[in-house]
Amino acid sequence: MRPGLVSRLAAVVGKDHVFSGEADTAVYAYDASLATSRPEAVVFPGDTAEVARVVRLATRLGVPILPRGFGTNLSGGTIPAHSGLIICLSRLNRILEIQPELGVAVVQPGVTNLELQDALSPHGFFYAPDPASQKVATLGGNVGENSGGPRCVKYGVTQNHVLGLEVVLPGGDVLRLGGSALDPPGYDLRGLLIGSEGTLGIVTEVTVRILPCPESVITLLAVYDRIPDAAGTVSEIMSRGIQPSALEMMDNPVMRAVEAGMPCGYPLDADAVLIIEVDGPVEGLDELAGRIRAICSRMGAREVRLASDAGERDRLWAGRRGALGAVARLAPNYLVADCTVPRSALPEALDRVAAIAAAHHLEHGNVFHAGDGNLHPLLFFDSRDVEQVRNVKSAGREIMEACVRLGGTISGEHGVGLEKIEAMRLVFSEESLDFQRRIKQAVDPENLLNPGKIFPKRKPSSKGVAPPAASRPFPQDLCPESAEEAVGMVREARACGQPLVPLGHGSPPDLPESGTVPIRSTRLDRVLEFSAANQTVRVQSGMRLARLQDFLADHGLWLPIRPLNGRSSTLGGLAAVNGCGPERPAYGAMQDRVLGLCFVCGRGSEIRAGGRVIKNVAGYDLCRLMVRSRGQLGFLTEVTLHLASRPQAGIGVTAQGPLPNVLRAAAAIRCSSRAPVSMTASPDAGGLFWTLHMVFEGLEKPIRAQASRCAADLASRGLEVASCPLEGPFHRFGRPEAGSLPPFRMRIDLPLNRLPPFLEQGIEPFAFRVQLLDLSCGRLAAWTPSLDPGRWVRIQEAARDLDGHAVLEEAPSGFRARNPPGLRGPAGIEALVDRLESRLDPAGIFAHSGNPFMEGRGGVRTHDQPGARP
Amino acid sequence: MSRDLTRLYDLVAQCNRCGFCQTACPVFRATGHEIGVARGRLSLVRALIEQRLDWSEELNEPLFACLLCNACTAHCFPGVPTSDILVAARAAYLENVGRSRLAGLLLHHLLPYPDRMRKTVRAVALGQKGSRSSAVRALGLLRVFGRDFPRSAEIPGQLPDHSLREERSSWTLPGDGDGPPIGYFAGCGMDLLFPNTARTSLQGLTRQAGSVTVLNNVCCGLPAHAYGDPETARRLARKNLDVLESAGAELVVTDCSSCASFLKQYPGLFSPEEPEHSRAVAAASRVRDLVELLPAESGGADAGPVVVTYHQPCHASRGQNLPIPEELLETHAGYTYREMHESDWCCGGAGSYALFHYDLSMKVLERKMENIRKTGAGLVLTSCPACVMQLRHGARLYRVPVRVGHVAECLPVGS
Repeated sequence: MRPGLVSRLAAVVGKDHVFSGEADTAVYAYDASLATSRPEAVVFPGDTAEVARVVRLATRLGVPILPRGFGTNLSGGTIPAHSGLIICLSRLNRILEIQPELGVAVVQPGVTNLELQDALSPHGFFYAPDPASQKVATLGGNVGENSGGPRCVKYGVTQNHVLGLEVVLPGGDVLRLGGSALDPPGYDLRGLLIGSEGTLGIVTEVTVRILPCPESVITLLAVYDRIPDAAGTVSEIMSRGIQPSALEMMDNPVMRAVEAGMPCGYPLDADAVLIIEVDGPVEGLDELAGRIRAICSRMGAREVRLASDAGERDRLWAGRRGALGAVARLAPNYLVADCTVPRSALPEALDRVAAIAAAHHLEHGNVFHAGDGNLHPLLFFDSRDVEQVRNVKSAGREIMEACVRLGGTISGEHGVGLEKIEAMRLVFSEESLDFQRRIKQAVDPENLLNPGKIFPKRKPSSKGVAPPAASRPFPQDLCPESAEEAVGMVREARACGQPLVPLGHGSPPDLPESGTVPIRSTRLDRVLEFSAANQTVRVQSGMRLARLQDFLADHGLWLPIRPLNGRSSTLGGLAAVNGCGPERPAYGAMQDRVLGLCFVCGRGSEIRAGGRVIKNVAGYDLCRLMVRSRGQLGFLTEVTLHLASRPQAGIGVTAQGPLPNVLRAAAAIRCSSRAPVSMTASPDAGGLFWTLHMVFEGLEKPIRAQASRCAADLASRGLEVASCPLEGPFHRFGRPEAGSLPPFRMRIDLPLNRLPPFLEQGIEPFAFRVQLLDLSCGRLAAWTPSLDPGRWVRIQEAARDLDGHAVLEEAPSGFRARNPPGLRGPAGIEALVDRLESRLDPAGIFAHSGNPFMEGRGGVRTHDQPGARP
Repeated sequence: MSRDLTRLYDLVAQCNRCGFCQTACPVFRATGHEIGVARGRLSLVRALIEQRLDWSEELNEPLFACLLCNACTAHCFPGVPTSDILVAARAAYLENVGRSRLAGLLLHHLLPYPDRMRKTVRAVALGQKGSRSSAVRALGLLRVFGRDFPRSAEIPGQLPDHSLREERSSWTLPGDGDGPPIGYFAGCGMDLLFPNTARTSLQGLTRQAGSVTVLNNVCCGLPAHAYGDPETARRLARKNLDVLESAGAELVVTDCSSCASFLKQYPGLFSPEEPEHSRAVAAASRVRDLVELLPAESGGADAGPVVVTYHQPCHASRGQNLPIPEELLETHAGYTYREMHESDWCCGGAGSYALFHYDLSMKVLERKMENIRKTGAGLVLTSCPACVMQLRHGARLYRVPVRVGHVAECLPVGS
């Protein structure tokens, strides 16, 4: 115990909120994993300011710290690796805001997932991530681990639903990252923090996206006599374009344990069950359930039950959610693995698990998120038996190895923590690990925040990147044919101190005058790997979106990204700017679709991020960091994407009226369960009347019902309504072109409730033309034939004053060179970005202000780098 | 000495630290401290068994600050009986670390003797703190004064002038019902603090049975059991078994759900080899909570109009699996029944709890009072005198405009 630590902590939070006794700290020596390690003390700050003061104090004293919620972590993430101070956030337990009309809630990190769900349900809303432990898992912990849950097979994981964070950084600075206005300028630091397992910052407030509850839910229980049949069903359902809202599997040992705890209705004589749920509008849902039943039966289910009422459904879920606790009836302890494999590999993965368990004389069970291939094999043992402990550890490692060999990863949602540190080498090269370690070093130079987690100790590198002494002139244009060639080029650039700018097919006009050299992806345009069954594709970064869509069309698939402008963009380019269209709430943006990527960083190493599975929390979320990084952190060479089945049908609905009426109608639709995939508005030539466009896509029956109800809603508001069928997924419905070759194109992102005031305050002084108003994302796309710097600053300030931002997407030659790319951001963010860039790209090969795509980084550069303009 | 606890090892090892108990634990929900939740307490017991932790006074709080409300076990898939484990751990603590003098006084010199209890209560009622003050404080363990004993001056005013059994220790009332003879088990709380309610219960019971005999019982033993003194609990149980057997009543009824729950647990106090075991089994099968004898449809006098809600004591819900008498409340003349959120959430009364853990108890109570407030009820009924005391205190402390009563009020009274 460090002298004075406790009394100084007490001076910050009060003596009732510091624990240091033997028993008091002993109960913080564990979480829900197997690891144990006792902290020196535990402190319970009451607000963000106290968290920051505690962190500053700990930094001064050199005490390691780590954040903890309710300690239900399954990988040892919330116990100290060695010793130190636990910052328990259980007192930050208030729900601060629920704003259904904005689709947003703001919570403190100590609120449990279920408490939020309970608070939302009277409003008819829900928060999509729903980890099985939601009763006790806090939202701070959900953010730290990037938690999933049964529903994420349809709705996505925490990463897809957190809009903004308030974070206390190592050292004690408090930053706000992201927010309800989408895609703020600069790196997606919010995305980097999510899933960082409490090693990059302590989350003190979370802004989440909330969704209207689906109109109707059907829950099926498919009963199997053979596990492989159940496993085979999963891939069969998913690859047929059916989107269940949950697809879980449970085997016999787990069902027995659950039923012994409380009767939930599971058949004890079956080998396995699938719990399958579909949700959506009433129309067509029965039919959908019928299709699933048919598939189950065809795949060998001996019986498919329908949960007849909410009670039966709740019981099934209570059993599923309590499964991990229940298995204590079978043995005092369990090791739960958390590997993810491509869905099509499920049967084989389950086979391997069984074989590995048997080889180690261990009983095992399975309960897991089958729909996204996230296995949770449970190995039963008694921690009082030393040999069993040894066996269980080696079996756990072998399971991870097997799953990685099947194309999977080591953790889908539980995190690496202490338990999977060594397994990180199974999925990452030393260089890729180094890239992540450098992020940690940049954010936490003293290594005091949750040290000793996630990353294995560095192996001394055998092949250091020794820059060759270069004297010959550097080429003026680079166009690698392979990733290896790109690596060589970047190393050469590094040796010459030559800043590079990644490019696709475009040709930004500013490059020659900035002294930078383009590195083009145009020759990297192949499909590397494609799996229709898993709906994933790995392509090189230079492939154009349109070509990929053509390729996928043959398989009934598509990448559900319809950028407003430019179907000719490359996938690398789309990733670099987080391309998306107004369908983002339904299909996501590039950041939600990129499963993995590969890039050459400014140090000349090839770095791999993510993988090809739907859920992946191994290491930092580099995909999020790279998507939207606008070529500032490296040259993308390949991207792995999560595809979707092409919608069966599409209907467009239009409604015309004055702007205020259109805005009110849109707000009402947003809060309803009508669920159009996009909702946009554009002005007519005179600017007096606006047209609201809504797109409904999916299965024919439900969308027809949705569209006609929506049309009725709109008509009842006095708008003039029309609807039309849409041809295929690449229609241009509701997408007016910007003026021909507009020199200046910008987007303005605002919280949804700020859009009306922004428009009403009068946008005439800004003299831009609205191309499209995205009423589900809070985004305004505009263009203008001319723009002077003063006006551009005023536009940005107007957006900033309403908690949003304006970003210049296209500008003619020279404009950027003469003008800073954006308003200055908060000093803390700028400093953090500087530290990150100088660690990841010390020579400024990619991170330099000569990059014409830079949109501001929440600020501008403050130090000189090669390529920086005077 | 951890030898005594090793028999619990398998039970304790069943906790695999999933943490689901946190959702249900009233103490944890009030403090957010791991040491106050089943998982934390069990981990300490396990550490003691594995001799990774030494006995010390530091363990007093984690072992004794549990309400024993059993809500954790109800939410625990492996069903770890945390309350039982803690009661055993408390006993081991008393052996290894030492017991409080006050507790000894109470457990050995007051509880077994109803008469001494009455006198001590009287001393408290009159505000005497002289020579017997230690006994008076000890009696606080029973909670008979309400939890604010050390702080509040209101208490004497709450104490009735006479206890139920002030004049005589046992008597029989004639009844006009068809049911078999009933023995009325007078719980300490009902006897000393709520004699009028007890009389209401008795009156109601005479309508159901041919006769009702007020028993000359002693304390049921729950306070001693909860304190970790199984020997005293067994001693009291033996005394009561004698009383229950000699009463000749077919049913033994009590209007205290805590007593009822513990009387039903008597068989567990004795090992199957002990002769008392089979006696306890027979006796327990005759025990009824008054709640079980409530008529489905109320014939009670119109007491309204009032919005009424119901607090379900831990010892009624998890202790005996009794439902809330909803039908009765819905049909009672003048009542509008509204269900309370978390109706079976512990109020924080829990025996001696409030005396030793006043602040914590009040935090637990706060949540309960908020839930009562949200119903808008003017009357909250329950079936345990300790809960009545606690809720009355809560209504004052948190300014909730609600009257607190015992469900016996709903009984139809003699015509």
